[in-house]
Amino acid sequence: MIVIKNKTLRQVLSIITPFILIPCIIAVGVFVLDEKYYALVTTAVAVLALVYFITGFERKQTGTRRLIIIAVMVALSVAGRFIPFFKPITALTVITAVYLGGEAGFLTGSLAALISNFYFGQGPWTPFQMFAWGIIGLVAGLLSTPLKKSRLLTVLYGVISGIAFSLIMDIWAVLGHSGTLNTQLYVASVISALPHTVLYAVSNAVFLWICAKPFGEKLQRVKLKYGV
Amino acid sequence: MNSFENYNPISVFIYFMTVTVTAMICYNPVLILLSFFGSISFYITLNKAQKGKTHVFLFALILVSAAINPIFNHNGATVLFIMNNNPVTLEAFIYGVFLGIMIASVMYWFAVFSQIMTSDKLLYLFGRISPKTALLLSMTLRYIPLFSLQIKKVSASQKTLGIYTDESIPDKLRGGIRVFSVMVTWALENGIITADSMTARGYGIGKRTHFSPYRFKVRDFVLSAISLTLFTVSCVAVASGTTAFSFYPYMSQIPLSAFAFLSYFCYGIAVFIPTFIEIKEVIRWKYSESKI
Repeated sequence: MIVIKNKTLRQVLSIITPFILIPCIIAVGVFVLDEKYYALVTTAVAVLALVYFITGFERKQTGTRRLIIIAVMVALSVAGRFIPFFKPITALTVITAVYLGGEAGFLTGSLAALISNFYFGQGPWTPFQMFAWGIIGLVAGLLSTPLKKSRLLTVLYGVISGIAFSLIMDIWAVLGHSGTLNTQLYVASVISALPHTVLYAVSNAVFLWICAKPFGEKLQRVKLKYGV
Repeated sequence: MNSFENYNPISVFIYFMTVTVTAMICYNPVLILLSFFGSISFYITLNKAQKGKTHVFLFALILVSAAINPIFNHNGATVLFIMNNNPVTLEAFIYGVFLGIMIASVMYWFAVFSQIMTSDKLLYLFGRISPKTALLLSMTLRYIPLFSLQIKKVSASQKTLGIYTDESIPDKLRGGIRVFSVMVTWALENGIITADSMTARGYGIGKRTHFSPYRFKVRDFVLSAISLTLFTVSCVAVASGTTAFSFYPYMSQIPLSAFAFLSYFCYGIAVFIPTFIEIKEVIRWKYSESKI
């Protein structure tokens, strides 16, 4: 277990990573390295962001019940894929984030990506997927007040995040294939993925429209009753 | 018990990372071909004739990559023909083939990696770095089969209650959501009970200890040391430009200096280590069998 004992060093590291280290890697990738290393650079950035987030989570005191509820939500979103017509990862990530906060959302999204890849195959895309789903959760947590109030906004957020997820993963696909971000190739891959993207956005919307409220109430109830 | 998967997860992880990262950064035809043959030979020694689908898929991937790259990429000096006012060049085609082989080899490495690094090994690996996340992961991994079983039970009982239809998609969707809703309530309550039970047993009071059946033996140290040394050679070769190869506008000569040869040799050894270990084990097994 790597725990940095020195408090100042820890604080310095937690500032350096997001504000200096990550921009430095991007700058090196853009200005020093050849453009064919873009895929590698983006993966490094995604991995660093995940590490940064997880160390923050590790340091904090988290109640056992909260920990378990996150595990339950991750497991539900993976197990839900065994019900036909279901792809609940995004929707459940959003719901968890809205009711339990951005950190819980980030963990739910990224762990659900990691674990469902145990069943669907790990690959170089895993850190990227974890990062994308994690960010969807984190942003939903930041927007939790308006999202909690309006059902329509929640659905809209589901649609946008579904589309954004596909677009981000297409960037990764193009980078992974040809190293550079070839615009034509990107447009082609976005178009070929269009039916999938639409299906994904619609299923998110339907799921959130029907489930956001009742599932939110369930979470709220557990939160109130057991003081998560 | 000496086959590659029985090595310590730490050294197996180091091995995979060094080999795949080299394949991804080198952009050198010789190294990419070595990585391809190494990964495919390991895949075949592990799976024998099974899982033919992976091979079909990955070879199709190479073909697609070879076909797509010249359509979108018009660099290169040797024009083969003109399509839609855009030149299709030999260099772009060959670059596509090599990209395809590179991606396929990385996919082969990851296929073997997922086969060998089962979830318990990954937990052993990351449990030390991040115990809380590892706990989350291991609980989730236990919940998934539990929930799938419970989902089946709930939908079966819904059927016996007569609450089901198979007529239209909205109906099916509604049924699915009802089952899922039941699951959420049950799972949350169940989770709280687990959490209370954990607290009652003292979770979070002291430092967490880990049980793991893996020990770091001499052979694990040797494997890690070898893969890191060979990786350093490849990195130096790539960074110094010794193995640099360019496809555009003309394909350059394949680097054949002494140091380039050394790096090919080192990477060649690295990619065939697991195949070698597996085959050695099979021979030893056959030999001891013949003595009975």
